Amino acid sequence: MLTIALSKGRLADQTLDLMEKAGYDVSAAREKSRKLILEDEAAGLRFILAKPSDVPTYVEYGAADLGVVGKDTLLEEGRGLYEVLDLGIGKCRMCVAGPAELKDKLDQIPNKRVGTKYPNITRHYFEEVKNESVEIIKLNGSVELAPLTGLAEVIVDIVESGRTLYENGLDVLETVADISARVVVNRVSMKMKEDEIKPMIAKLKIALQQGE
Amino acid sequence: MANKYYTPDGFTDQLPGVCAFKRELETRLRNLFMLNGYEEIETPGIEYLDVYKNFVAEENLYKFTDTKGRLLCTRFDGTIPAARFAAGSSEALPLRLSYIENMFRMGQVGGGKQAGFTQAGIELLGATGSASDAEVIAIAIKSALETGITDLQVSVGQIGFFAGLVRQMGLSEDDAAEVKDAIANMNSVIIENLDISDEDKKTLLMLTETSGTYDAIDSFMPRVTDEGAIKALENLKEILDILDGYGFLKYVTVDLGLMEDARYYTGVVFKGYTYEVGFPIIGGGRYDNISKTFGADLSAVGFSISLTLAITALMRQDKFTPVAGAQVIVGGDFAIAAATAETLRSEGTAAVLDTTGMTEDELNEYAEKKGIATVMYMNGGEA
Repeated sequence: MLTIALSKGRLADQTLDLMEKAGYDVSAAREKSRKLILEDEAAGLRFILAKPSDVPTYVEYGAADLGVVGKDTLLEEGRGLYEVLDLGIGKCRMCVAGPAELKDKLDQIPNKRVGTKYPNITRHYFEEVKNESVEIIKLNGSVELAPLTGLAEVIVDIVESGRTLYENGLDVLETVADISARVVVNRVSMKMKEDEIKPMIAKLKIALQQGE
Repeated sequence: MANKYYTPDGFTDQLPGVCAFKRELETRLRNLFMLNGYEEIETPGIEYLDVYKNFVAEENLYKFTDTKGRLLCTRFDGTIPAARFAAGSSEALPLRLSYIENMFRMGQVGGGKQAGFTQAGIELLGATGSASDAEVIAIAIKSALETGITDLQVSVGQIGFFAGLVRQMGLSEDDAAEVKDAIANMNSVIIENLDISDEDKKTLLMLTETSGTYDAIDSFMPRVTDEGAIKALENLKEILDILDGYGFLKYVTVDLGLMEDARYYTGVVFKGYTYEVGFPIIGGGRYDNISKTFGADLSAVGFSISLTLAITALMRQDKFTPVAGAQVIVGGDFAIAAATAETLRSEGTAAVLDTTGMTEDELNEYAEKKGIATVMYMNGGEA
C-alpha cells in the first residue's frame, strides 16, 4: 500500500489525470466527498488531500510515502526529500516584482523591504544569491498590495500570467526560480517500498513523455 | 510571564513502562557491544563549542557559557566526543569504544524526530580496512535485530566513489556540488542538463537508479578509471563478502548515491531503515579525518542507532510490549507485610509494600488500577 499526498486543488486533479494515463485506477480519489483520506484497497493506493504547503511535511515524516507538490513549496519548506520527477504541470515563475519604474534599478535601493508569502526563498535569494540584506515582511495573500500601499518596495511571489501585476502597475523585476509540480518521495519509503515506488515513477515518466 | 510546567519544545518524558522497555533495549545493546569488545564510555554531555564547530552548524547546538565566559554546547552526537577522547588517550590501538547516551539537537521539528533522543553506538578507532568497516556494519545490523526490528534495510555507499567520479569527469567544484545535491535528492533533471558527455551523464544517472549488491558494483566497475573510485568499489565488495559470512547480505543494498557530508565521512557510509518511521534509524561510516581536529591521526569507523526511533518503529509495528512493574503488592499488618515483602524480594520477585495502611478493599482497588496481579493482605494476629 502506497500513501500519496496530493496538494488540494487544481494540482490534485492534474496529478490524478496523469496517474490515470499511467495506468493507475484513481477512481477512489475522484470520489466527490469531504473525506480527507481516500483509499483503494484493490489498487494498493491511499490518497491524502493536504494543504500544498503541508505536503512536504507529510512526506518527510513518512506519513505519506510520496507526494506531488509545487517546487515553490519545496524551496520554501526545504525538506530532506527525494525529488524524483518534474511533472511539468503548474508551471510558473518565482519572481521579484515591483513598480515597473524599478526595472534594472532594483540593486540601487538599499535596505529593501520585501513583502512575501515565501520568507525562506526570499531570504535565500537576497542573502545568498545577491549578498544583500533585506527586511522581509511576511504576508499571507494579495501580496501585490504591499508595494502599492508603501508597506514594501518590492515583493517576491509566484507569477503565472502576470496579469494581476500589470493591472496594478507592477512588473517582474527579476526571476528567482522556475516552478513546476514535482514528485517527492520519503527517503525511507524509497528504500523499504522500492518495488512499488520505482515502477510508479517509471510509468509516470512514460505517461509524461507520451503527453509531450 | 506564565510559569512553564511542561517539557521544552522537542523534549519528552519517558513514562513508566516505556522507560523500562527502553532500559531493556539498552541492556541488550550494552551486552552486544561488550561481547564484541567495545568498552563503554560516558562523556560529560557538555563540550566546548570548539569541539563541534568544524562538524555541526552552530544553529543546531544548544549553547551557553561557563563561569569564565567560554562557549559550551550540549552533546550533539556520540562520535565527536569519542574522537576527542580517543585523540587524547594513550590507550593501545585499535580502540573499541561504545556509548548509550542522550543527544541534543536544536532546530529539528517535533513528531518523532526530537531535539532530545537516545543513541547507542560504537566507534572503532585506529583501524583501517574493509574488515573493520564490515565489523561495524555487522554490529549495526545485530543491534537493530537485538531491539526486535527484523524488517531492516541497510544502504551502503562510499564517499570515495563520487569523489573519484568528479576527478574522472573533470567536474568543476560548483558542478560537483550541484551534482552531489542532485544525486542526494534523486533529482535527475539537473544531471540531464549538465554539459558533460552522454556516457558520463549515464554514469551519474545510474547513481540515482541502481540498487542491488554485487551486481550494482559490477555495473559501475567498467565505467570507472579513477583509482580512488575503483578502490571504493573494491572496498564495498570486500565488505559485502564479510557481511555474507554473517548471513547479513539479505539486509544490505549498495547505494552509491548515498551522499553523506564529506567534511565528516571519508570512506564507507551506511544508513539503516525500517517500516513505519520516516527517518533512518541507523547511521554510520568511516571518518578518517575527524581526529585530526583534535591533534591526532586516527582512522576510524562507527555507527549509531537511535533508540528513540527504534522504539517508535517497534510501537507502530506492534512489536512493543510495555515492561510491567511489580506484580505483587503486600499490605495489612505492617510488620508481617514488610517481612513478607522482603522475603519475596530476596527470592527475586518485585513486591510493593503498602506503607499507607490501606484496607483490604482499598488494596484490591489500587492493585487493579496499577495492574498488579497478586494482592497479599496480611491479617496480623487475628488469623
